[in-house]
Amino acid sequence: MKKYLSIFKISFAQEFAYRVNFIMWRVRNVLQILLVFFLWSAVFTNPQTELFGYNRDKILTYVFGIFILRALVLSSRAVDIAGEIARGELTNYLLKPINYIKYWFTRDISSKALNLSFATVEIVILYFFLRPTFFIQTDPLQIFLFLVAVVFAVVMFFGLLVLVNFVTFWLPEGGWASQFLIIVIFTEFLSGAVFPIDILPEAIQNVLYALPFPYLMFFPLQVYLGKLSMTATLQSLLISGIWMMFMIVVINQVWARGIKKYSAVGR
Amino acid sequence: MDKAIIVDHLIKNFEVTEKKQGVAGAFSSLISPKKKTVRALREISFSIKPGELVGFIGPNGAGKTTTLKVLSGLLYPTSGFTQVLGFDPWDRNPKFLKEISLVMGQKNQLWWDLPAIETFELNRAIYEIPERIYKESLNELVDMLDVKKFLNIQVRRLSLGQRMRLELIAALLHKPKVLFLDEPTIGLDVVAQAKMRDFIYDYNKRCKATILLTSHNMDDVVNLAKRVIVIDKGKILFDGELRELVSRYAKDKIIKIYLSKESDIKQLEKIGKVKKIDFPQAVLVVPRATAAAAAAELLHHFPVADLTIEEEPVEEIIRKVFSGEVKISEKQ
Repeated sequence: MKKYLSIFKISFAQEFAYRVNFIMWRVRNVLQILLVFFLWSAVFTNPQTELFGYNRDKILTYVFGIFILRALVLSSRAVDIAGEIARGELTNYLLKPINYIKYWFTRDISSKALNLSFATVEIVILYFFLRPTFFIQTDPLQIFLFLVAVVFAVVMFFGLLVLVNFVTFWLPEGGWASQFLIIVIFTEFLSGAVFPIDILPEAIQNVLYALPFPYLMFFPLQVYLGKLSMTATLQSLLISGIWMMFMIVVINQVWARGIKKYSAVGR
Repeated sequence: MDKAIIVDHLIKNFEVTEKKQGVAGAFSSLISPKKKTVRALREISFSIKPGELVGFIGPNGAGKTTTLKVLSGLLYPTSGFTQVLGFDPWDRNPKFLKEISLVMGQKNQLWWDLPAIETFELNRAIYEIPERIYKESLNELVDMLDVKKFLNIQVRRLSLGQRMRLELIAALLHKPKVLFLDEPTIGLDVVAQAKMRDFIYDYNKRCKATILLTSHNMDDVVNLAKRVIVIDKGKILFDGELRELVSRYAKDKIIKIYLSKESDIKQLEKIGKVKKIDFPQAVLVVPRATAAAAAAELLHHFPVADLTIEEEPVEEIIRKVFSGEVKISEKQ
């Protein structure tokens, strides 16, 4: 355990070595929230408007919630795995008494901690500029379920990302393309990061709920906003938990095959 | 344990896809990739005792690095038996990994954007080195390699020589009992090479570590290894004392003479191959068997002031072994 605490610390230190990079990433996040914020506040100019079950307060809470969830769920360092495999740097880790998957999970957590602390500060500042009215969840049970959903989402996204990066074992040049497709396109649009999923036609929604994506951002926020019945919440938690377990099993299996392939090529 | 490393009938094949030249070639290899098997190791066997320092030599692509990678658990052997410190390397048992280290001249583990000391701290945690022992061995290594002033500088701002020394520290903090060194002096200047060699020699003596070293640098091998294994095209050609390699393949002797006055240099050619003439000195290479006769003839026919008969330099012999000028028969 101490091992991974040290990895956490050094990873944290390294993020600061790329200061400009980090700041640009944060700026991008703030711009994104501003864009979505103004879009929705234009739609809900009249405070009485209610669309797709959202009123002005709830949609703005949704936008700010997404902002925090982005830092928690989507900020990640594991995107570097593909490069490490392609360049043969994986060798360094294989020589050490360390679990590569746990190593990257630790680095992801460190990245999330850093991003979350920045996002919190930014949100306070944005709050004073934009003065939105928030929906504050007060039911402790609902908050607890929300946190469970977030943990599931964090692990699931990590699994998804690692899986996509492991493509590099077989296609050394394929890491970037698969990352773009799965992470940028699918995750951004199908997870609820840009718009709430429940504004889509019901048929599409039903398909989406069978996939892991809505459980990354949309579902946890729905729990926070208290928009789901207890049955629906538990049912979704179950699906999301199954996806999470599935990811864990699959990445470990793919890893075992991947390093055999890696070694066969002899990088 | 009487053997630190055992390798028995080890075979390693690689599957490679051939890529043809040009656009049409790239397209055809996309549709029907041609697989080719490269036989990197063809049944090699050897064993190494604890505390031994063995030089592993051979031309590029001979299979040296492949052997080191199999022994450190990076490559899965196609067939054959390997054992290091009683472990099967491929299992990558944490206990095994804590006892070995592989240093590759062209690969680095130091975090590029951070000072080296951060990587050292990380390795302390990964290898679970107790604080007190870590401090001790860090100080020792830092002194021996003279890098105290570079510890807190971002790695990317260091020179290659400085970085290589720090890489070595990162690889040795956990005091491995078995050390695989792949081209440890590559790219270093002469002074840095000498420092590195002194250090390796010292580490072997002090920690009773088993070291397997590959190098293209003859100085490394000659200065460090008593025993050498010569490998080429995946086969072991020689395994034994360096001295024995030299005596077996030193087919020539070198005669150096000092002439007291100028004489017909053409005549020297009749006695042996003239390697260098820099009046008054001349250097001749003659076959070992006729060295005495050649010397007598020189003394008889030339105004020789001084004459010495020497062995060929080791580097020269190994160079000839590599270039195929002398044929090495297979290991008996």
